[in-house]
Amino acid sequence: MRVPLSWLREYVSVDAPASEIAKRLAVSSAEVERVTRIGVPDEDGNLGHFRVGRVLEAGKHPNADRLQLCRVDVGEGESRQIVCGAWNFGAGATVAVALPGAVLPDGRKLERAKLRGTVSDGMILSESELELGADQGGIMVLPESWEPGTPLADALPLGEEVLEIETTPNRPDLLSVYGIAREVASLFRLELAAPPGTDPRLAEDETPSIEIRDPAGCPRYLGRVFQDVPLGPSPPWLKARLLAGGMRPISNVVDVTNYVMLALGNPLHAFDLETIRGGIVVRRAGAGEALTTLDGVARKLDPADLVIADHERAIAFAGVMGGEETEVREKTTSILLEAANFEPVGILRTSERHGLRTEGSNRWEKGVDPHLAAQAAALATELLVSVAGARWSGHADVHGELPERPIVRFRPERASELIGLEIPAEEQRQTLERLGFELEGDVVRVPTWRARDVGREVDLVEEVARFRLADVPFTLPRRREMFGRLSKEQRLRRVLEDVLVGLGFTEAYTSSLVPTGQDDGAVALPEPLSAEQAALRTTLIRGLVEAASRNIDAGNDEIALFEIARVYLRSGESLPDERWRLAGVTEGGFAGAKGAVEALHAGLHLELRIARADGGVLLHPGKAAALEGGWLGELHPALLAGGWGAWELDLAELFARVPERVAYEDVVSYPAVHQDLAFVVDDGLLAGELVDVVREVAPELREVRVFDVYRGDQVPPGRQSIALHVSFQSPERTLSDEDAREIRERIVATLAERFGAELRA
Amino acid sequence: MDVQALEREAQSAFAGASTPAELDEARVRYLGRKSPLKQALREVRDRESGMSLNAARERLETAVTAREEELGRAELDRALAEDVVDVTLPGEAQRRGHLHLITQIRREIEDVFLGLGYEVVDGREVETTRYNFDALNFPEGHPARSRLASLYLNGDVLLRTETSPAQIRVMESREPPVYMVSLGRVYRRDTPDATHNPIFHQVEGLAVDEGITLADLKGTLLYAMRALFGEEREIRFRTHYFPFTEPSIEPDVSCFLCDGGGCRVCRFSGWIEMGGSGMVHPALYEHVGYDPERYSGFAFGLGLERIALLRHGLPDLRQLWDNDLRLLSQF
Repeated sequence: MRVPLSWLREYVSVDAPASEIAKRLAVSSAEVERVTRIGVPDEDGNLGHFRVGRVLEAGKHPNADRLQLCRVDVGEGESRQIVCGAWNFGAGATVAVALPGAVLPDGRKLERAKLRGTVSDGMILSESELELGADQGGIMVLPESWEPGTPLADALPLGEEVLEIETTPNRPDLLSVYGIAREVASLFRLELAAPPGTDPRLAEDETPSIEIRDPAGCPRYLGRVFQDVPLGPSPPWLKARLLAGGMRPISNVVDVTNYVMLALGNPLHAFDLETIRGGIVVRRAGAGEALTTLDGVARKLDPADLVIADHERAIAFAGVMGGEETEVREKTTSILLEAANFEPVGILRTSERHGLRTEGSNRWEKGVDPHLAAQAAALATELLVSVAGARWSGHADVHGELPERPIVRFRPERASELIGLEIPAEEQRQTLERLGFELEGDVVRVPTWRARDVGREVDLVEEVARFRLADVPFTLPRRREMFGRLSKEQRLRRVLEDVLVGLGFTEAYTSSLVPTGQDDGAVALPEPLSAEQAALRTTLIRGLVEAASRNIDAGNDEIALFEIARVYLRSGESLPDERWRLAGVTEGGFAGAKGAVEALHAGLHLELRIARADGGVLLHPGKAAALEGGWLGELHPALLAGGWGAWELDLAELFARVPERVAYEDVVSYPAVHQDLAFVVDDGLLAGELVDVVREVAPELREVRVFDVYRGDQVPPGRQSIALHVSFQSPERTLSDEDAREIRERIVATLAERFGAELRA
Repeated sequence: MDVQALEREAQSAFAGASTPAELDEARVRYLGRKSPLKQALREVRDRESGMSLNAARERLETAVTAREEELGRAELDRALAEDVVDVTLPGEAQRRGHLHLITQIRREIEDVFLGLGYEVVDGREVETTRYNFDALNFPEGHPARSRLASLYLNGDVLLRTETSPAQIRVMESREPPVYMVSLGRVYRRDTPDATHNPIFHQVEGLAVDEGITLADLKGTLLYAMRALFGEEREIRFRTHYFPFTEPSIEPDVSCFLCDGGGCRVCRFSGWIEMGGSGMVHPALYEHVGYDPERYSGFAFGLGLERIALLRHGLPDLRQLWDNDLRLLSQF
């Protein structure tokens, strides 16, 4: 919403500079994007260089066919000689003149200059040069009654400061200059003028025929007939206001409707009365019905679209855009003015369905006060009669029961309590009354323009609070029963992150949305952002593979990445099963991944149990393993070449096994006995099977670690040597050599029996 | 023999020895088996001269040991003085890992609110329209409900558009007091650019208790913003509109780059917009069965990427999804 300051000051006489108004509005009412200045700069007496002038003589320039040579009276006694390129005026015309030294809106500085050998001592101005209109065709001809020499700024809005305000969707009342004026009046505690627009006398009685068939979609339709409409351009002040308000002037009739919308917030529409067959019908579109809108687009209507129709066809999208056939055009002499009210959601849907957003639809979809239509009609009528010179000849106002003003119970002490700032009841009352609320005891009647937004006590608390936000103190809750801590899962996730970071892994964030086709079981999005983001992921590993691959391409080294995030699995219920996973990708192949997974298990005090597994599509078939709640392995070279280790763990399964607490073991008081044992066994035997048996038979075992696996000349074909480092320790006594020998013999015997293992010398 | 003279001579010989070899030679001469002192000790007959000789021997032996240590230490010092490293050479290379910047910010925020007595709640990412919109008082026709704004799985299920559904789930599950923050991914149908990505992260805070005020919200945000952006920060409130809060407030934090003087980051206003907040709308209490006359509360939401961009000067948040180690290892 663009609010020109001179327009605002018509409704509230605020002296504060634009920046101060902007600052207060931004805190208490609506965001002010910026304050801009348009038109002639008002600096260093620049406005003094712009005058009303009267052309005394005008004729062809002696040296140029396309230029006029004029003598212009600018109230100085002596006239000035000015060269001009336009021909739409002659002697006697009243014009706008800029004198040498003037700075024009586009920044050009005017100098006394010679044009084709003739001195030009000023410039006769067009609308567009003053940013007062879009017309570049000729110079601006002013009313004859204006005296030469009059400062132009007294007669025309030459320069203007404009507040660019971004309102919130709950405040359609602020999408109008008058609505902003109401806020400004409250903020600065000033008098607010009565809303603009007073009906002139209605001379005739040419009642238009109006029928509302869908009162839910259109609670009110006020139509007015005007005859003898001299269609033409608007006066400069009106054009200037529209331009400052961000709208292009079109014709006096259209400009008046737009002016009223900007002034009061109620969009209007004008139809060429002669093109309407019969009368107005407000209804839903029929099946197969079509409408060509003002922008020249032929549109197929949806049965849910609310339309304005006559007795034969749809003639406008209600509230969104008029139709081409009934548009006001040059030959128009009579019009039907529509000041209606439309229900928001229907307008929003139509506007979305047809991809049409207009100044009008933007206001309707936020909800316009149905009571406002009469005021808007009055202002439009006043202007059509006074500005355009039209004759008002008929009126009809069709509506059912208009909504009552909501009544809300309000306790000022409750407001102070919720805000945390003691605001006297009298001050609260004044604040509300300035905004148009009526108070009687603890009962508040809400003004019609706030009826959608204010319906309960807390809404009134906001009305009071927003004017005192800067005074609200800084406190903390009184902490009745507060206790903050991470849950076990959150704490353990941090442990895992820290373990991995300590190992040199870097955390990646990859997309939860993946292409379809990776996993047929994945939950797909019916209307995805793109083919690449069409389903919810069921594994983290693919994102990490992509991240690793990007890092390889970037030439980065020491690539080791992990991610802790959710995957989304079909659950059979309406919501998928969201599971936290931890995955990693690292240099160093299978052993690299396994080392990390071992460290993760150690970090959680978990034993790692591992078994061979088939690699699936992701892993090298010979280097794949299953874990409890996950897998690890070497990535299939087709996925990422170069021997990359990878794993993925389900955190719920992992955390379920984490011990509540770690019990103390005495590993200090008595020394451990260390021994290295190498066994020759069959080639197919897994080292882990050997280790498991060692654990089983030797309760005194403190540690067992495979430190060498050998195949070759030193062992028979088909056999391998597996070397174990073992240590034995008792928490109760020092183990003797005899003890150690006994344990070793037990191990050797059992391994021989189970696996045919031979102890190497 | 003159024991005293002998001892003086030996002491000066020990002190004069400048290498372990010289000292050893002096030791053999004065304390060796064939030394005059040892011979005298062997020949001693009376107790008195035996005691005096032994005392002299002990003193000399102590002197030798002390001199030995001195010389050894000097020798070591000489050797160490020659064993020099170039201290400017790099250390042994260690692979260093890094938490993602968003995780670092997430933990900072979690820790701030854990300190204030809040719990951390992990909300769902796939939600029903009931939790994502209805229970949060989004009106029918609110733009966020549109398929053009949000990512739906079907008519009733969508990827959460903010972290707020977690508020409803927690409030449904128990009576106040509730003090919680919820952090995580949210999803919107946004076109990616320097400040937007369809997936981003939010932190949501909720406090519902007896006697919670707008001033409590202001104070809480002040502490949080000071923790994130420095102790000098100030908070300003601006009125706004959100369906789930009333009054609704947009908090601004005073610019940490220019200290309020005006710069590019704060668009020359001295203030930076931080997100949304307000007092919990009573309609939410009605949804979860709390008594709005008894309880009040506040809620707020901030974007983690926005904090990262502002605080670290990142020009483009999409970089946070590139996972380039060169970028990640800066933080």
